[in-house]
Amino acid sequence: MADYAIFWDASKCTGCKGCQSACKCWNLLPSPLGKNVNEPTGSYQSPLDLNGNTRLLMTFQENEVSDDKKWGVEWSIGRRSCMHCVNPACATVCPSGALSVDEDTGFVRVQDDKCIGCQYCSGVCPFDVPRYYAGGSRINKCTACLDRVKNGGAKPVNGGTGTGNPRYSVPACVHTCSPAALDFGTREDMLAKAYARVQFLQNKPVNPCSTASVYGDVQLEGTHVIMVLKYAPETYGLPADPKVGILPTLTSWMKPLAAFVGVATIAGLGLSYITGLGYKRDTLHFDPDTEETIDMDTGEVVCVGDGHGHKIRAAADAASDAAVAAVATVADKAQEGEE
Amino acid sequence: MTKYIQRHSRQTRITHGVFISSCILLAITGLFVFVPPLTQALPASVVYGIRMAHRVLAAIFILFPIVSAIIAPKGAGHFFGKYLRKWDKDDITWLIRFVPYMLGPKRVHMPDQRIVKSGQIVADGMLILISLVMIISGFGLMFGGTGLKSVSLLFHDIGFVALILFGIAHIYLGAGIFQPYRHTVRLMFGDGKVSESDALYHWGHWAREELSSGANVVEKPE
Repeated sequence: MADYAIFWDASKCTGCKGCQSACKCWNLLPSPLGKNVNEPTGSYQSPLDLNGNTRLLMTFQENEVSDDKKWGVEWSIGRRSCMHCVNPACATVCPSGALSVDEDTGFVRVQDDKCIGCQYCSGVCPFDVPRYYAGGSRINKCTACLDRVKNGGAKPVNGGTGTGNPRYSVPACVHTCSPAALDFGTREDMLAKAYARVQFLQNKPVNPCSTASVYGDVQLEGTHVIMVLKYAPETYGLPADPKVGILPTLTSWMKPLAAFVGVATIAGLGLSYITGLGYKRDTLHFDPDTEETIDMDTGEVVCVGDGHGHKIRAAADAASDAAVAAVATVADKAQEGEE
Repeated sequence: MTKYIQRHSRQTRITHGVFISSCILLAITGLFVFVPPLTQALPASVVYGIRMAHRVLAAIFILFPIVSAIIAPKGAGHFFGKYLRKWDKDDITWLIRFVPYMLGPKRVHMPDQRIVKSGQIVADGMLILISLVMIISGFGLMFGGTGLKSVSLLFHDIGFVALILFGIAHIYLGAGIFQPYRHTVRLMFGDGKVSESDALYHWGHWAREELSSGANVVEKPE
C-alpha cells in the first residue's frame, strides 16, 4: 500500500476559503443560498462548525498579543477536516463498512450508501469530525477526493508529486489553493516538505517563529494530513496530544467475547439437558393437617413440615452432598495439576 | 382432582410476555448492528429501518413495565419485595448445589425454597441490572456526545454479552427445557398456575404456606 497525504501550511494560508468552496463544488455539497440566511457568527468562520454539508472548514481564531514588540490581534487560520489517521478508530468501530482504509492511498474512504447512521464513528474520533446528513442517517466527511485522485481530474500543482500515476490527481482543495498552502503527494514527501518548512520558519532572519511545528507525523501514530503550524496546536482548535483511548479496542473485543459466551452457554446447557434426559419426578402431595409431604408414587412421607428430618430426605441430602464433594475434589485435583 | 396454586396474575404474565418479546426482538435487531457481516449483508436503508425498529422496541421495553407498575402499584411492590427478603441456610445450599444439580439432577437434591429461589434472585436481579445498563447506555448512544457515546457503546455491548448468558439460561429453565423444570412455561405463558407437586418440588416452603392457607389454591380435574 502506498501512503499519500494532504499537506497544509498555516504559514502560507491566507484564509481565502477557496478550498472550502472547492470542496463544496466538487462534492456537490449544498450551501444556504438565500440572503443573510446564515446566522451572524461574529467571525470570518462560516459556518461555525463542520456539518452534514460541510466537510472542510477554515477556522479563524483571534489571539490577543501584547508584548514589547507587538500588540493587538494575531490570527490563527486553521483547517478543520478529517485528518485521515493511519490507524483510524472510526473505521475500526464502523459495523457497516461505510468507513474503511483505502489500500491504494491510506486515506479513510467513505461509502455513505453503506452508512446505517449508528454514529459510532463520532464517538471515537479524537478530532470530532464525522457529521451526518439525511436526518442523521448518512455520514459526511472528507474523502480526500478519492474519486478525483483515483481517476485523474487534474494534474499535481504546487510542487507536489501527486500519486505518481498519471491517471491520479489531487484533491479539489489542493487544486484550488492559490497561495500554495496546500499540496498533495506521498506522505514521506509531504513530511519532508513540512519539516523543511518548519526549519525555515524557526530560523528565518526576520520574525523567526519558534513555535512552528509539524502536526500529523507522530500524533495518533500518524495521519494522512500533514500540517505546518505556526503556533501551538490548541490555537488552531487541534488537540495537542490526541488520543483514541482504549474504548474502541475494548469494544472490538466484545464481538468475539459474545460469540464465545453464546457458544459456551449453549454447550453447557446442552450438556445439562443431556444429563437431565430420562429424569422423572414422583408426584408430591402436601397434607396441611399433618404438615406432611407425601410421595404419591411410593406412599412415603418425604418431608415433615418445613423440616428435613425424614430418612429419605436425609439420604437424598447425603447423596447430593457426596456429589457436591465429588465435584469439589475434581476441581481441587485440577487446580493441583495446574500448580 | 389436582390442586394448583395461582402463582402469577394475568397482568404479571402480560407484562412479562411483552417485556420478554421486546427483549428478544431487541436482541435480534441489535445483532444487525453488532455483527458486521450481518450489517453488510443488507442494504444500509434496511439496516437503518431495523435500527429505528430497535428504538421503538426499546420504548416498549422501557415503558410497558412502568405503565404496568403504575396501574398496579401493589403488585409492583410485591414483585420487588419478594426479591429483597432475608436469605436462609437453604438459599445458600441451593446456590452451592446449583452447578452439580444442573449437570446431574438425578443425583443432586435441592433444598426447599421460598417464593423465589436464591438462584432466581441472583439471575433475575442480574437481568434487571442488565436491563438498566442497556437502557442507560442506550440513551447514551442516542443522545450522548462524543465521549459518552463511545463509553455507552462499550457498556451496551457488555450488557449484551451478559444478556446472552443470563437470557439463554433464563429461557432454558423458564421454558422448561431442562427436564426437572418441565411445565414451568405455563407459569408465565400459560394460566399462571403451578401444580401442587411442581410447587412442592421447586418452592417447598412457599408451596406449604400457600397450601395451608388455601387462599390461592384451586382444584381442577386432571
